Amino acid sequence: MAAQARMRSAKVLLINLGGLGTEIAKNLVLSGVGFLSLVDNHDVSEGDLSTQFFLSKDEIGTKRLDSAISRIQDMNPRVTLTVDTEDFRQKPDSFYGQFDLIIATDVSTEEAIRVNQLTRKFNVPFFLCGLNGLSGFIFVDLIRFDATDEKLKSSVKTPLGALSQNREVVEVTEYLNEEQSEVYERIVTRNAYKPFEQVLKEGTLKGKLTKRQVKRLTNAVPLTFALFSYRDGYAAVTRHDLEQRATDACVQLGLPSENLKQEYVEQFSQQAGLEFAPVSAVIGGTVAQDVINILGKKQSPLNNFIVLDGISLDMHIFEL
Amino acid sequence: MANASAVRLLGQENYERLRSSRVLLVGAGGIGCELLKNLVLMGFGEIHIVDLDIIDLSNLNRQFLFRQRDIKQAKATTAARAIEHVSNSKLVAHQANIMDVNQFPLAWFSQFSIFFNALDNLEARRYVNQMAQYLRKPLLESGTAGFDGYIQPIIPGATECFDCTTKETPKTFPVCTIRSTPSQPIHCIVWAKNFLFSQLFASSGSMSADEDLGTDNVEEIERIRQETNELHELQELIRSGDKTRIRDVFEKVFVKDIEKLLAIEELWKAREKPTPLYNFKFDEKINKNLNTVWTIQEQVNAFVLATEKLMQRLSSEKQIEFDKDDPDTLLFVAAAANIRASVFKLPLKSVFDIKQIAGGIIPAIATTNAIIAGLSSLASLRVLNLLKNQPKANPTELNMAFTAKASNMSNNRYLSNPQLGPPNPRCPVCSIARGVLTLSQNDLDTMRLSELVGAVQEKYSYSGEVSVLDKSTQRLLADFDFEDLLNKTLAEVKVARGTILLISDEQDSEESIRAPVELYIEQGEPEGINLPDIEVPLIKPAVVEPDETNSEEGVSMPGEIILDEDDKNPKKRHLDDASETPAKKALKTEEEHVVILD
Ligand SMILES: [Zn+2]
Repeated sequence: MAAQARMRSAKVLLINLGGLGTEIAKNLVLSGVGFLSLVDNHDVSEGDLSTQFFLSKDEIGTKRLDSAISRIQDMNPRVTLTVDTEDFRQKPDSFYGQFDLIIATDVSTEEAIRVNQLTRKFNVPFFLCGLNGLSGFIFVDLIRFDATDEKLKSSVKTPLGALSQNREVVEVTEYLNEEQSEVYERIVTRNAYKPFEQVLKEGTLKGKLTKRQVKRLTNAVPLTFALFSYRDGYAAVTRHDLEQRATDACVQLGLPSENLKQEYVEQFSQQAGLEFAPVSAVIGGTVAQDVINILGKKQSPLNNFIVLDGISLDMHIFEL
Repeated sequence: MANASAVRLLGQENYERLRSSRVLLVGAGGIGCELLKNLVLMGFGEIHIVDLDIIDLSNLNRQFLFRQRDIKQAKATTAARAIEHVSNSKLVAHQANIMDVNQFPLAWFSQFSIFFNALDNLEARRYVNQMAQYLRKPLLESGTAGFDGYIQPIIPGATECFDCTTKETPKTFPVCTIRSTPSQPIHCIVWAKNFLFSQLFASSGSMSADEDLGTDNVEEIERIRQETNELHELQELIRSGDKTRIRDVFEKVFVKDIEKLLAIEELWKAREKPTPLYNFKFDEKINKNLNTVWTIQEQVNAFVLATEKLMQRLSSEKQIEFDKDDPDTLLFVAAAANIRASVFKLPLKSVFDIKQIAGGIIPAIATTNAIIAGLSSLASLRVLNLLKNQPKANPTELNMAFTAKASNMSNNRYLSNPQLGPPNPRCPVCSIARGVLTLSQNDLDTMRLSELVGAVQEKYSYSGEVSVLDKSTQRLLADFDFEDLLNKTLAEVKVARGTILLISDEQDSEESIRAPVELYIEQGEPEGINLPDIEVPLIKPAVVEPDETNSEEGVSMPGEIILDEDDKNPKKRHLDDASETPAKKALKTEEEHVVILD
């Protein structure tokens, strides 16, 4: 089946229509995903108006989803939208089994773990993403995914075998590209993934980065990790407590905690969970682009953790 | 109503500054729509949007502020209207060319704290870059092509400008060339693929009858209705699955639409008129050789056959996207492109050639635009020093960013983010001393060119002959053996508001000559020549042929500044694992038939 046809038959669930959810919905609807289910039980608040362009000033107090839906549909009448204003936490397990892909935005660590357990149970690819003010993150669990990439063959044949902790070349086929009369390789790379809960417990960067990379690594990485340890939301975050947890995160990740900078700790303690339009755009664009890739072309997907530092624009991909 | 998230991120004081800032957004296309949304949500006080273009059907699947009812409306005004419902910013839309000096003189640019470029052509990018240099205003440059994209903050005098590195000319075509006046085979291929095919088989913009059209103007509603109806009729014909209706599709596209174009006489004053393809017949003879150029009859047969197949598939597939490796879609596009080429008396191509060309047309990708616009708006906060708890960054501590993973340049970086480099001392734009010369209307009318040249020579210590070039039009006004115009008035040699004059030392010296100086002519009150106080250094004359590959330290390059040496070591760009940056790719040439459509 062609990439577009696969896209058009795909059923995607998007949890929460905050600023980030809005960006993802916009991108997926524009790209012509077949079926998009939106679940969100929030009312429009004043804060929503600075992050969500599908809402309008006179809609404060109405259900966020009810207000946004006609503007979302208006972008592309051919996408089948399903609107659900119930609390996603109240959904029975089986609810999660009906989708080809699930994206959770703006959820707590505890909620993310539960949804991820269910996506594993039903073998559904899972994206988790969130914003912390000037910073944002993406976690991906495709369980197992074979990506096919094509490239011009170099003098040496691409060898089979492990590329990194989570990626392994399992098949290489040569073929002649008639138009250019050159030999190409079709490379199948197997991507293995871990559940979110396991990554939180065991994920580390030890041995995966060069000294120089460790030294230059943005503080946004351990601080994002530290924020995950507030499992039910960010009400309890204080600067001091976050610094403690960031130090612990550095130990687990194998990063020198003396690199933690005060201004970053301060920033993250003040901006935990905060949505900001430009960061939504970058994270939402990245998630949507990879979702479209996975549903259609199946080229090398994100694996498995990304953090954006909105100050330096550093955006690395880590295998955890 | 304060923007709570912006206040928390920026602090109250910086938020107030943001609220009182006026910014300029040039371009309301793919990146521009996204950028406008971000700037509005962030809460910039006043945003001016400039775009000359009108909305085309092909924009709809990625420029999310536009709908089918907006087709043929101005992009700038439509975009502003479409985001108004969440906006606390004053939005000012200009349907105009940013390079129009009468509408946008240099003084107009000076009201903004920052310029955002969201453009698809080099000429306008270069122009805004120059305005930024004259006014010393920061510019956020950006661009995308397919999955490649980049942003680059430009701080005049402190970091690389847009022209510090050479840019190749990208191949873009105006919508009207594609839709009305094709003059090359590739125009017909772009039309067949990106317009006709997507309209018939991949369109997602069907419109309900009772939709709010956003206007009460009866004529306007009628116009929109007619456009929409025609589009609907074609789509209905295709979706009816009735193969006998293919004739009607053919008639509409290759006869009626061409007749409509012929009726617009001004289009054909300097062009050869197209000839509608009357009385076409379908005789079922199919040529299977993809490497030869088929006869027009074979093209017609192929068109009918491909349309039949696609109609059949549409019943199960709902929408079909062009794919050069999907033979039905390729055959349709090739045949349609060739029939159109024949109508416009252009050369025909083989299916094989068209496959190559169509496959090389880089589509604009909505998500790339979204990411790049997000980065551009984000980077502006640090440029404007609006971030809370962040020390003011030196310009060369700021970062540019470009796609790395999506451009297949890195597996472990989604973005590359090198710090900004210092200005290139050999840059043809920012290395040149420049200033604004304000002249009165009376002086422009009566002052002779020779008077102006004399004043420049005296003010900036040019000891001998100089040459004067009008940079806007590349006209030589004077040099050592061309003095015919010196006695003419400025008005007579067409020096007016917006003219940029480049004055260069023509002295025959091997030691040192005076660097060139650029003057932007502004029109204003004071009488007389009040040349700006700028330092114009002595440089080594360009005598040696430059050897591009060998510009090591110690070798003095032509045009290099020898006075006022700044010894700072230029930061080297560090790239992960590639030599060609997406920034370059995003501005690539036609070599491989690359076409960037927006
Ligand atoms: Zn420059």
